[in-house]
Amino acid sequence: MKLLPDTSGLDKRKLTWTSLGALAVVFFATLPFYYDVHNGQFGVFFFNVFVYVIVAQGWNLISGYTGQISLGQNAFFGVGAYTMALLWFNDVTKTGYYFDPVLMILSGVTPFILAVLVGIPLLSRLRGDYFAFGTLGMGMIVTVLFINGGMFTGGAEGRMLVPKMPEGVVFNLRTHYWVAFLIAVLATLVVYFLTSSRVGLALKAIREDEVSAASHGINVLKYKVMAFAVGAFMAGVAGSIYGYYLLQVTPSNVLTSNWLFLPILMVVLGGTGTILGPWLGAFVIYLISWYGDSFFAGYHPIISGVVIILVMLFLPSGLMGLGQKVPGCGRGGRGSR
Amino acid sequence: MGSLAQILVNGILLGSMYGIAAIGLSLIFGTMRIIFLAQGTMIVLFAYLTYWSFEKAGIDPYLSLFTVVPLAFVMGLGLFYLLFRKAAALEDKNVSLLLAVGLMYLIDNLILKIWSATPRGLNLSYSGAVLVVGDIRVPWLRLALLGLALGSALVVYLFLKKTRVGTAVRAASEDMEATTIQGINSVWVCAVSFAIGIALAGVAGVGMATVYSFDYQFGFTFAIKALVALALGGMGNVFGALAGGLLLGIIENLAAYYIGIAWIEVASYGTFMLVLIFLPQGLFGRRALVKKV
Amino acid sequence: MNQLLEVKELSVAYGDVRALWDVSLEVEEGSIVALVGANGAGKTTLLKAISGLLRPLGGHILFEGEDLVHLNTKRRVEKGIVMVPEGRRLFQALTVLENLRLGAYLPKARADYDDSLERVFTLFPVLKDRMNGKAGLMSGGEQQMLAIGRAVMARPRLVMIDEASLGLSPILTRTIFELIVALNEQGTTVLLVEQNIHMALKVCDKAYVMKTGHMVLSGTGDELLANDDVRKAYVGERGSRL
Repeated sequence: MKLLPDTSGLDKRKLTWTSLGALAVVFFATLPFYYDVHNGQFGVFFFNVFVYVIVAQGWNLISGYTGQISLGQNAFFGVGAYTMALLWFNDVTKTGYYFDPVLMILSGVTPFILAVLVGIPLLSRLRGDYFAFGTLGMGMIVTVLFINGGMFTGGAEGRMLVPKMPEGVVFNLRTHYWVAFLIAVLATLVVYFLTSSRVGLALKAIREDEVSAASHGINVLKYKVMAFAVGAFMAGVAGSIYGYYLLQVTPSNVLTSNWLFLPILMVVLGGTGTILGPWLGAFVIYLISWYGDSFFAGYHPIISGVVIILVMLFLPSGLMGLGQKVPGCGRGGRGSR
Repeated sequence: MGSLAQILVNGILLGSMYGIAAIGLSLIFGTMRIIFLAQGTMIVLFAYLTYWSFEKAGIDPYLSLFTVVPLAFVMGLGLFYLLFRKAAALEDKNVSLLLAVGLMYLIDNLILKIWSATPRGLNLSYSGAVLVVGDIRVPWLRLALLGLALGSALVVYLFLKKTRVGTAVRAASEDMEATTIQGINSVWVCAVSFAIGIALAGVAGVGMATVYSFDYQFGFTFAIKALVALALGGMGNVFGALAGGLLLGIIENLAAYYIGIAWIEVASYGTFMLVLIFLPQGLFGRRALVKKV
Repeated sequence: MNQLLEVKELSVAYGDVRALWDVSLEVEEGSIVALVGANGAGKTTLLKAISGLLRPLGGHILFEGEDLVHLNTKRRVEKGIVMVPEGRRLFQALTVLENLRLGAYLPKARADYDDSLERVFTLFPVLKDRMNGKAGLMSGGEQQMLAIGRAVMARPRLVMIDEASLGLSPILTRTIFELIVALNEQGTTVLLVEQNIHMALKVCDKAYVMKTGHMVLSGTGDELLANDDVRKAYVGERGSRL
């Protein structure tokens, strides 16, 4: 007995957002031509935002669209960064390229495999919250393993990559900016096409009611693991990009809880289960963190904490959800609009 | 320090804190289905408060129990009504999760600002006193901590079994809507559970202050250890949660001795993963968390 | 006419999905009213709205003439409106006695705890035997008795029972219905939601038929049993569906 939705309004909204999105893409793609990204303040700002967007979209896929809260994105990010670092450091591909696409893809593949290996046992047996615990545990183990990796991973000091830069190549933030932007757009497109296809329908069905989805013939485990693994792939690629930027991969810069919680916060602020939400959220959160650091050094994490709390209290459906209803309360749903 | 018995004893003593924290988590998770990741941070906060009252006013930590624990309870009620009340009713558990994270960031860094990054600890006149049984050495303070853990478990157990509100908490943990149908104020039930959880963090905090040195970063890892203890022990059982904590302590100590200190963490988190995968209802849990789709 | 409960043009929706369309219903004090209809007709939704678990889009619910709109579930239970939910929703890990105790949680009910307990044990002797056993270990029929008993502990004026016969054998269903009648004879008004239409129509004083969120028919039990449409749609040609 569904009330027929007002589709004309929806199409208009979609059109508005798509055109705004296209404009934004053009703007950011051409920015480095009229703004000195390498030396300007905002170069680093945008770069970081784009990297966060990639990780956030990954989380959005498994947690926003499929409804399985994952607390392991930082592990995948770190594994990706280390994959890139170790392969480059040990000259495994013998190309010595800077920004080697092969390495970047491989940086996505290792977390992908990890996600499949861990995801299958966890997702096949555990109720939502316990899956979250499990991913948390995985993240912790990964972190500890990398810290104790001794000769292989460089231990707590990680790997310095500066010496690996090929002859004659100069570090220019512009390259990083573009690569990060490109991958962020790609990640967004991937999420968009996945979620607007039959796959997306299955994921959303799983999020809303697993049992019902299963009874319609949806292979719940397959889709969950897939979303988890694709999200991990994205985080891994993001990790490699970040590694190329820092030129040093250590546990304290690629495995920290920042990479775990900030992407979640960004997606939730922007709007879970939306395409543009992660972008909005990333800009806002990173902006706060950026300015917080310059004006209130040392107080900035306290401010982040307060911001997270305020967002959760007053804007739980995120910025994209302003004007929409909040999904049903635990007790059985409200009838009023 | 070599004998197996000593290791086991040390493990049990270490595990008492995990156990107290786990009981608190169990109550909060049981009624509200919230992973209260800030539990560890709350414990650290109360440890700092205990430290502070000792340094400033010379108040013995065991006396602090009488101030810190009620304060913690009241704080718990406040936190619930301010922050978690609406979030607990939402379908989307992300919100409560992130609220807990925000709280954790906030308090961890407040602690950093107020007390700086220097690790703190209490040096009491009786810190060194040791009970010697055969060739096992048991520091009195750690034994007292175990006593606190057992006592807390007993108090919570009696509360749940014998009091009216406690029975309502047990009912709510099983089926919140059915509890509401009986006319019971489910918000109040959640508030009380939450407040008791924080009060238990208070107990653990006092205990931590007497025995360990701590700094502002302890919170997060401690919260996870408490989760591990809860997973080990299983949901729905106060003594199970405590046992989970003790068991975790033993596992960590065994790992430290036989494999190496650096690998303690791998042992704990590895146990966590194994339990989640192969024994999700824990050793003593009454509720099956496994769902088969 | 002493209408204990009056529902007037009630509309309820779950988000965008409308579940009840201008539904009206009256329950006279001391009577048994049956609410029947197929799965998904909105019967449980109506009970939930009366209980205060769902907030309606429009319409009124009056209890003893008083509009319930601002009262939450707890206040409605205090007024004497108690629901026995579909599927019983007992607290499986708690004992029979603890479940009953929780029924008498509120102060007024607590004051009469001993009397209520006595009443429940008289109505359902098997509960007395199983007093300290876990609710989850009892048979279907015993669980249903406990669910009703739990509601009785709240000193209800109106008991709303959702699908009492769910999962029960014909014999047990008969027993439960006999007990419901006994309860009613003691003075408690009963609103019965049932898929087992035949039994429901036999014991009730008045009945309402719902279909996809609308109230479509009403009348006495006998009238509806004799009604051709009702018989064909729900009861079957030969009459008995038991």
